[in-house]
Amino acid sequence: MTFENSWLFPVIESTHVMGLAAFVGTVVLADLRTLGAIPDIGPLTRWTHAGLAVMLLTGAAMFFSDSARYLHNPAFQVKITLLVLALAGHFTLRRSGTRFTAVISLALWTSVVLAARAIADFDV
Amino acid sequence: MYNPLLELARRLQDTSLRLDLSQSTWAVPIIGAIHVLAIAWFGGTVLIPDAQLRRFRRIGLAMLLITGALLFWSQPLRLYYSQFFRVKLLLLVMILMIYCLPVRLARWIMLLSLMLWAGVIFASRGIAYQ
Repeated sequence: MTFENSWLFPVIESTHVMGLAAFVGTVVLADLRTLGAIPDIGPLTRWTHAGLAVMLLTGAAMFFSDSARYLHNPAFQVKITLLVLALAGHFTLRRSGTRFTAVISLALWTSVVLAARAIADFDV
Repeated sequence: MYNPLLELARRLQDTSLRLDLSQSTWAVPIIGAIHVLAIAWFGGTVLIPDAQLRRFRRIGLAMLLITGALLFWSQPLRLYYSQFFRVKLLLLVMILMIYCLPVRLARWIMLLSLMLWAGVIFASRGIAYQ
């Protein structure tokens, strides 16, 4: 799959960033609530799951547009490894909602974002 | 005609900081990464209109503005002439204006800011690909 239109990739990438704001943005709020850093602000899971769905769909679309290029990118390899860890933790450990799992969640998602951003810097 | 924005861009272009930023291998990638991290950490506050998040929201906005200003400083003239950057600035001014509206309009502020922020994200990606 390749993107013939020059505007299509940036549009998918922008949608990915919006998913990021919704997904990681609400995970961070939930974790900070668990840590007592912010007050209770009502349910967040709908935004979290909607954001995650958008991220996975747009992420897959970008990956399959040039999979070989991504697979050879060291930042991408680190990102995917961290992503698998963070997702596994999100759907298992984090459910217990302790302060420890909240800190782990914050650290892992922060690392995923930093590694993802670095994909562009390690693109050859 | 005197153009204050162009004048500012020209002056920033001639500073030593602009040279340091644009010639350093890691400065712009690192500042850009912090900029994206701020979107991830504070993006949720755009979706949740809760007034209790006001302080947290402002910390995020400050982080974005500071890293954004440094990114602008790294290539002022290129950005000044970028159509997407102009759209982005215009949308940001509109966002700052609606954040000044009274708190009782929280729901409207959220809806409006959501659309404007989406526009900001599209415009921002546009700058990179122009």
